[in-house]
Amino acid sequence: MKIFKQSILIFIFLFLILSSLLSFSFAEAGNYPLTIIDDTGSAITIPEEPQRIISTAPSNTEILFAIGLGDKVVGVTNYTNYPEEATKVEKIGEMSPLNLEKITSLKPDLILAYAGFQLKEIPRLRELGFNVLVIEPLSIKDTLKSLKIVATVCGIPEKGNTLVEDLSQRVNKIKSEVSKITISNRPNVFIGGTYEAIYTPGEGTLFNELITLSGGKNIAASLPGWVKISPEFVAEAEPDIIIIPIGAMNLGEESKIKKNISQRPGWSNIPAIKTQNIFIVNEDLFYRAGPRLVDGLELLYEIFHE
Amino acid sequence: MKFSMNKSPKVIAGYTNWRKKLVLMILGGSLGILGVSLVCLNFGVVPIHPKEIFSLIWNSSLDKTNSLIIWQLRIPRITMAILAGAALSTVGGAFQGILRNPLADPYILGVSAGAALGACIGIALQYTTGYYLASYLPLFAFTGAMFSLYLVYMSSKISYTLASTGLLLAGVAINFFFSALITILLALSKSELHSMIFWLMGDLSTANWNKITIVTIPVIVGCLFLFSSSLDLNALSLGEEEALHLGVDTGKLRIRIFFIGSVIIASIVSFTGLIGFVGLVVPHIARLLVGPDHRVMLPTSALFGAIFLILCDTFARIIIAPTEIPIGAVTAIVGAPLFIYLLQRRNV
Amino acid sequence: MSFPETILKVEKVNFSYNGYQKTLSNISFSVSRGELLGIIGPNGSGKSTLLKIISGILKPGKGNIVLLGENLNKFSIKKISKFVSVVSQDTWIAFNFKAKEVVFMGRIPYISRIKGETLEDYRISREAMVKTQSLPLSEKNIQKISGGERQRVFIAKALAQTPQLLLLDEFTSHLDLNYKYEMLNLLKKALKEEGLTIISVFHDLNLASIASNRLILLNEGNIEKIGTPQEVLNEENLQKVYGVKPILINHPSLEVPQVIM
Repeated sequence: MKIFKQSILIFIFLFLILSSLLSFSFAEAGNYPLTIIDDTGSAITIPEEPQRIISTAPSNTEILFAIGLGDKVVGVTNYTNYPEEATKVEKIGEMSPLNLEKITSLKPDLILAYAGFQLKEIPRLRELGFNVLVIEPLSIKDTLKSLKIVATVCGIPEKGNTLVEDLSQRVNKIKSEVSKITISNRPNVFIGGTYEAIYTPGEGTLFNELITLSGGKNIAASLPGWVKISPEFVAEAEPDIIIIPIGAMNLGEESKIKKNISQRPGWSNIPAIKTQNIFIVNEDLFYRAGPRLVDGLELLYEIFHE
Repeated sequence: MKFSMNKSPKVIAGYTNWRKKLVLMILGGSLGILGVSLVCLNFGVVPIHPKEIFSLIWNSSLDKTNSLIIWQLRIPRITMAILAGAALSTVGGAFQGILRNPLADPYILGVSAGAALGACIGIALQYTTGYYLASYLPLFAFTGAMFSLYLVYMSSKISYTLASTGLLLAGVAINFFFSALITILLALSKSELHSMIFWLMGDLSTANWNKITIVTIPVIVGCLFLFSSSLDLNALSLGEEEALHLGVDTGKLRIRIFFIGSVIIASIVSFTGLIGFVGLVVPHIARLLVGPDHRVMLPTSALFGAIFLILCDTFARIIIAPTEIPIGAVTAIVGAPLFIYLLQRRNV
Repeated sequence: MSFPETILKVEKVNFSYNGYQKTLSNISFSVSRGELLGIIGPNGSGKSTLLKIISGILKPGKGNIVLLGENLNKFSIKKISKFVSVVSQDTWIAFNFKAKEVVFMGRIPYISRIKGETLEDYRISREAMVKTQSLPLSEKNIQKISGGERQRVFIAKALAQTPQLLLLDEFTSHLDLNYKYEMLNLLKKALKEEGLTIISVFHDLNLASIASNRLILLNEGNIEKIGTPQEVLNEENLQKVYGVKPILINHPSLEVPQVIM
């Protein structure tokens, strides 16, 4: 009997410790104040449900609107273009350097920031007393995780979970389709640009992951990060498909861009050019770590496997 | 030759009433700084009525947001502009004196290139390793500056004497070398590129009270020291040998001015990035106004430099708000034509 | 004329700029108070170098310079400047100081960096400008006045430094005829009245002859002859050093040799 009582006590004790640990890193809906560790390794304490959110990156804006927090967003950056409603939100300026005065004047209770080149602005924002949640998704998995975190931090974890489930399903569908395609049947893909100098995404980039997941073979897969490559490299790799991501400023120039690519010296023998498999895509689907990455993934699958 | 001591001092030819000029400049300059600061405090992305600003200065609890903007953003920025403007102008004037070259600026001896390289390395590292380095950027810049200071000093010793030419050449060489390294770093970066370029063009938006506290003492003490070397600098402008004949130890003077000036510049540049043209143009304006006597010219440069930078910074942050222009661009756009105009006036 | 006090003693001085070519060899002489010692010789004979060594800018490789009884290498640069002042050949001035400010710089060795200058400093500067007839130039920009005017200002500056030994390097080169003799007279007067001692490098042999109490004739870094103008300026010495045979006549009133070409 004594052993039984003791073990029950230990059990209850362990249970209490476990549940308090869980609540420390993740909270139920409406459970404020909550503390979370963001992608900079800092502990952020959110006192109550955020009502005025500023997004300092277009990708973060898309995340916020996708989860349904659009009406709580009070500030976005200059080049915000999606969704439509986001373009009507007040602009806070460039992504870097951040205009502290403008941000302060909008009285945010949460700032959703991006790591990368915004990293050095974060300490200043925190110094001024703002809650800054920094996310740095480097993969699809990270992006989905960030979606969940943002939803939780803003008090609507269920919406986040729903969205993530939805997106995961779509991703898994693509994955299973692609697993049926043999390696040799997967096309060699080159991601180019509209400039003379060729910068292409290599290992560790979101774009590279998307290409691989959607059943393509990135010719720059073995190169680290975003690299500058020479035209010879591309010619040698003989890609079957060329993808050119463009932004709003190049809209309407698709045929001109295709012509320029086709006429680049030394590239006339590239399969993609001979078969005119040059595809112009919306760059926002591939550069922004948000829900539309999955749209991008599906688009690539279509292009690669018709 | 008998001389009557009954005549008032002002009648004596040779009396240059430099003290009177100096006091006038200090009074005028200080009032100018205060006035310009108060006026520019009213400008910003967020419209705050002057009356409100006035009441917020005395009682900061009235409106938390606006108070934050005034006390944590605008005032630190203006204060940093004062310190940076004064520092750059004083060192620019002192370097022009020590090198006997009106085209010298505070960056000519290569210290700024070192700071720039340090900062760019810091930015690149920060991007690859993460968040914690962000606050240490000034430390990277300062270390880089000290390193280049060391290099310049060592390379100038190789020449026959520690003469002005030797130092100048060493500084120019180090400048080129580090600039080349920076260019390579820029070419290898993609996301950090923007941050690096912004740093290279000067940025006062990151000013906060912490930084101001760190920077104030080196700048004020350093500038006061440079002011005290004014007579020696006057002598040096007659020529290296002439100065020696007047009892000025030119070798030691050069080292002192170069070292103190570089420390001042390194301190400022580590926090503000490279703000150009101020150190080149303002001493000329000062000379035009009060003459080349360093005893008056250097303090005048400091005061005018402060005013100049406050104005440039205000312009940089309101002209296409909420986007900011790097302040180095503004000082160049204003400074370059101004400098050409001043040069023409000299030759007329 | 008696010259009681020895201001300067140059003892067996050797100097070389680059280590193998000797610019000066075994130079020895002394200078007494109130004397005007002229240094003459062809280009490259070491005249300017000798002046630089005496003023302390260059250190002799071998030998000693003794100024007022003490070895020059014990003097700090500042201390030297209180006893010795120099008028160089025309130099380039970096900034647009006024002439009076330049003259005033002659007082720098004496001005305390903390207390600043005194009324006496201004008085001395003014006096120096009056003596050199450069007072009218007071307010003018030193970079804009003529070479001759500038030279007078620099002489004034050197006098404002109240030296005991004044070193001149071709101080009359830019001066008009009238000023040449005015300066000379002025300096001679200072010699007598204030006990100033002068060492001057001359290119103009005739001027050297008129001005100097004694002459040193340098030849390729060595002293060819030292003595009165009569002793030094003769056909034999000049032929040996300059390679031409000059015609010498006696100055009508001053009884010193003059060279006619």
